[in-house]
Amino acid sequence: MNSDLVIKDLHVSIEDKEILKGLNLTVKAGTIHAIMGPNGSGKSTLAYTLMGHPNYTVTGGEVWYQGQNILELEADERSKLGLFLAFQYPVSIPGVTVANFLRSAINAHRAEEGKDPKTTSIPVAEFRKQLREKMAALEIDESFVRRYLNEGFSGGEKKRVEILQMAMLQPKMAVLDETDSGLDIDALRIVSQGVNTLYKQQPEMGVLVITHYQRLLNHIQPHVVSVMFDGRIVHSGGPELALELEEKGYDWIKTEVASRQ
Amino acid sequence: MKYFPTLSELTDEQISTVARNAGEPEWLIERRVAAWRSFAASEPPFWRRTDLSKFKPEEVAAPTSAQGTAVQWDVQLAKQGVIFMPLSAAVREHEALVKQYLGTAIDWQAHKFNALHAALWQDGVFLYVPKGVSVDVPLLTVFTLSNSNRASFSHNLVVLEPNASVTFIEEYTSPDIDGQAFSSPATELVLGNGSSLRYVTAQHWGKGVYMIGSQLAKVGDNASLDWAALNLGGTVQHIEAETYLGGTGSKVDWTAATFAGSGQLLLTAPWLRHVGAHTEGHMEFKTVINGNGYTVFDGMIKIEKDSRATISRLEEHAIHLSDQGRSDSIPGLMIDTNDVQRAGHASTSGQVDDEMLFYMQSRGIGREEAIHMIVTGFFETVLDRVPDQELRDRISEVIEQKI
Repeated sequence: MNSDLVIKDLHVSIEDKEILKGLNLTVKAGTIHAIMGPNGSGKSTLAYTLMGHPNYTVTGGEVWYQGQNILELEADERSKLGLFLAFQYPVSIPGVTVANFLRSAINAHRAEEGKDPKTTSIPVAEFRKQLREKMAALEIDESFVRRYLNEGFSGGEKKRVEILQMAMLQPKMAVLDETDSGLDIDALRIVSQGVNTLYKQQPEMGVLVITHYQRLLNHIQPHVVSVMFDGRIVHSGGPELALELEEKGYDWIKTEVASRQ
Repeated sequence: MKYFPTLSELTDEQISTVARNAGEPEWLIERRVAAWRSFAASEPPFWRRTDLSKFKPEEVAAPTSAQGTAVQWDVQLAKQGVIFMPLSAAVREHEALVKQYLGTAIDWQAHKFNALHAALWQDGVFLYVPKGVSVDVPLLTVFTLSNSNRASFSHNLVVLEPNASVTFIEEYTSPDIDGQAFSSPATELVLGNGSSLRYVTAQHWGKGVYMIGSQLAKVGDNASLDWAALNLGGTVQHIEAETYLGGTGSKVDWTAATFAGSGQLLLTAPWLRHVGAHTEGHMEFKTVINGNGYTVFDGMIKIEKDSRATISRLEEHAIHLSDQGRSDSIPGLMIDTNDVQRAGHASTSGQVDDEMLFYMQSRGIGREEAIHMIVTGFFETVLDRVPDQELRDRISEVIEQKI
């Protein structure tokens, strides 16, 4: 099975407005791939569409992962295939604690058809041990296990808990949507470390880092950088491209795209 | 156990005979007979939303004696002067106290069913906490109905003397009934100055139960009431509830969880009256509707003329799990003073939030399970306030089954 994420000619609309206009991109297993682009280029639309948000209508194209066109799958099925999205704006779930939520998610991943969930679910002691270790690494206070998920969390706390979820679920293909937004330098370092640690533990993992700014890429070093503009990938290169964008801004991309048409 | 014939055949002689045989004092017998006459003479109340057209009082036998009020009791408490016993026994053993408070909160003439209750109550408890006594263990009382016992008129009277504190839990539960049964509970809560009461009222009646109830709390100076209501069972529920913030600086934190499934009408009419100065009231009412269930929130906040610097807030949130359900919300706010510190209202109603569902599904949790978790989570803030793990488990199980 192919563990690359292969996006072919993807067209996506929200409320009849086309946002992605024939996007092609391959994120190879084992690589860290950054997508940069100005506001409004469709980066978050791509992230939500990959995960299967119901408000985004796919009007054309395919997304292949693990031998399937995942556009036909519900979000939970995509997650179980190994896909993960770290949200730019995580949703709060009142009345559901961080611990409860994570245990349910892990057990959903471990569930097997025709088997009693009791036999497949994670043993409580093992779950607690993992959770404690990973929270410590992300410098999240232990009291958070009993707090309702994202309820009253600061921006930085939410992002750390996104990475905590990623660390616990151990995805094979992780999409980070503007994970750096709203983070101070310390939080940025902790969150990036979390991503790097997981990548080191499972080097076959693919990571798609979506960001507006280059600063995140100082911490999570990409192998490939692609530039997105007006619903398409318009430019790809090595890590040096990120620095070039930081230095020159996005205007030259716009000029270049205009000159091609 | 002997019964009166049925509700529709009862007479005032029968009522006074039964009361006399039970050794009740004359003043109480007179009250019962007067209430019965008022019931017999009055028209049914005009309730726009509570549909009693299918209720058949002729099928429901009235009880002639207390049917065993279950009381959890700690002997240590008696040494502190705490009284916790069936109200029918308290009438004999603590007559002066009962006479002083019984019927002082609930207006038995408000409508026909209150009069019926005042005429016929048999079950229920009397809880009395003396001045300055603080009871640490929650005190629980349970009421049941069965196919052989189709009517229950329970009256709980809770009195806290100044600076007393206690947790009182009442639970109403039964299996599904073949045909119909009738429950007419009333609870009067009297909070002396500086006292503090945590009150939990939970009903998870089986199918076939018609419940028409009253709950009223009078809150004294600087006294505080924490009230959590769980409305889950029965065929029809009509509860009129009131918190009367009469004392200066009196407070209530009032929360409710209602879950109506197919074939259920669950109505709550909570009134919050701000009468004293510097009173504070917070109401948070949460509702879930499934199948063709129907819920009504007919609430009112009234800020009286002489209250000053009032703080009052009402929040209502409803989740619809199906397209066939209905929930009516009729919140009212009457302000008769110019001196309000803060008064506000917020409400939401709709299906399970798509963004929450997507977020949970993106972590691998299936849609059904995600809805389950969101709904139980929605009620969690109310369940958090039930200080009895076993009751919480029973309620959680009922909620699970209803989703």
